[in-house]
Amino acid sequence: MRTIRVIAANTLREALRDKILYLFLGFSILLLASSKVFGILTVGDQDKIIKDMGLAGIQFFLMLIAVMMSVLLVSREIDSRTVYYILAKPVRRWQFLLGKYAGLLATVFLNLILMTLILLLFVWLYGGGFDPRLVLATGMIGVEMAVLVAFAMLFSVVTKPILGSVFTLAIFVVGHVSQDLWLLTRHLPGSVGRTMASVLYYAVPNLERFNFKTEVVHHLPIPAAAIGWALVYGSVFAGLVLFLACLRFERKDLL
Amino acid sequence: MSEVQLQISDLCKTFHPGLFERAVEVLKGLDLEVMKGEIFGFLGPNGAGKTTTIKAVTGLVIPDRGEILIGGHPHDSMEAKRLIGFMAESPYLYNHLNGREYLRFSAELLGMDRGEIDDRVESVLGQVSMVGKANRKMRTFSKGMLQRIALGQALLGEPELLILDEPMSGLDPIGRRDVRDIILAQREAGVTVFFSSHIIPDVETVCDRVATVIDGSIRGIGAVRDLLAREVESYEVTFTGLDPREVVTPLLAAHTGSDAAWVRVETDQRDDLIRELSDRGARLVGLTPVQNTLEDLLMRQYEEGAAS
Repeated sequence: MRTIRVIAANTLREALRDKILYLFLGFSILLLASSKVFGILTVGDQDKIIKDMGLAGIQFFLMLIAVMMSVLLVSREIDSRTVYYILAKPVRRWQFLLGKYAGLLATVFLNLILMTLILLLFVWLYGGGFDPRLVLATGMIGVEMAVLVAFAMLFSVVTKPILGSVFTLAIFVVGHVSQDLWLLTRHLPGSVGRTMASVLYYAVPNLERFNFKTEVVHHLPIPAAAIGWALVYGSVFAGLVLFLACLRFERKDLL
Repeated sequence: MSEVQLQISDLCKTFHPGLFERAVEVLKGLDLEVMKGEIFGFLGPNGAGKTTTIKAVTGLVIPDRGEILIGGHPHDSMEAKRLIGFMAESPYLYNHLNGREYLRFSAELLGMDRGEIDDRVESVLGQVSMVGKANRKMRTFSKGMLQRIALGQALLGEPELLILDEPMSGLDPIGRRDVRDIILAQREAGVTVFFSSHIIPDVETVCDRVATVIDGSIRGIGAVRDLLAREVESYEVTFTGLDPREVVTPLLAAHTGSDAAWVRVETDQRDDLIRELSDRGARLVGLTPVQNTLEDLLMRQYEEGAAS
């Protein structure tokens, strides 16, 4: 456990000392701040617009941070061979990967906490009051990112950084539309498209399960079971993908 | 009989670079034994399999076949990894850390107690002459400084087996001397040192034994002196009382000085020449074997390997 913690702490430190993180963070704060402008320009409830845009902005920038930092930090470790000195020590390969995962997750959640606080502040400043359900929505974005970071780890050990980023982005996109695709193709007669949609639905995580933005913005009820199920689903998916990443990394030649 | 610290048996590794690229057989049944407390040099041209062997020993490359034991433990076991300190060919270190932070990080990975880490880190920084520079970010380090920190992390755990891949490459003469001194000091402390190098004079100077690896297998192994003794290819013969131009035995070179004549003959012609000089009334003044260098030995083995 100590080994994983040491590697995680180093990963977090590396991420926090990387300029790219602050670039994304800066843009996300800018977007949160500008949501007021969109609120003014849009017909409707300004409070809802600010919350909706804020949550979407957090999800988008957190996704960029998760994908870029994960692929970058894991691939960099392998490509720049800093991993040599770690794995030549009494450190198991799975400990290294889990340490990197924990460090990246800590980075993502640190940013998530910061962004959530800023969103809460803006909503309060713009007269929306304090809405604790925003924390639930951003928390579920965090769970979604935990799944995405696991995929980024898997792609980092099986392919090059650019492809890893592209594949993880593809998981993000497909993960948000796979359920709709599946529902759509259910109405089609037996076809290749239907089979493909089914494969996508089961192989790619259904990231819409973590999406509680609509319920939070429009003050709709959220069943506790849906939250619990999303947490279990996210944990199982992330665990499985991490297991596959560790399995592949165990037999990888580090050249 | 001395104990074996590192034992490699029948080590094979083939790399498969890509779907449509030809597989490359890098190690072809490599066998090696390194004894406890010795400095063992691992020599070979580029692409011979030195670095792959070292990576297999340190668990970075998964062998296709063969066995590697470190202190009697399988090389990929945690017991074996606790016995080794490793420094790679180029110092691959984190840019976001300074030298001291990096060594602390390495010490934590080695499972050292918090109380012992600072003392050990300072001691190692002293050993690699980096005490005053260790608070600088490593991205500002020269290659020599990075090499020293990399060597420092290898020494941190007080290893029984120090594995160094090209430890002197990129260092200035002072740096090379420092590394040489550290290696010799480690031997004095009872540490086994296994290192590869292209800088043959360094190997000749510090190694107790060497192995030459060509094309994925060991071509020669033994004490430097013994290996070179087997490599006497010619003799220099000095004599008086006969013009070297009149010598019938085939000569490689000849020179007539004011006092004596000097010739060089191949080893298998030596006895014929001595007999001829004796028969023709010349007086033998000197007979000196022409010792090949380790470099000559390596080059010859390489050419033989290429020819076969």
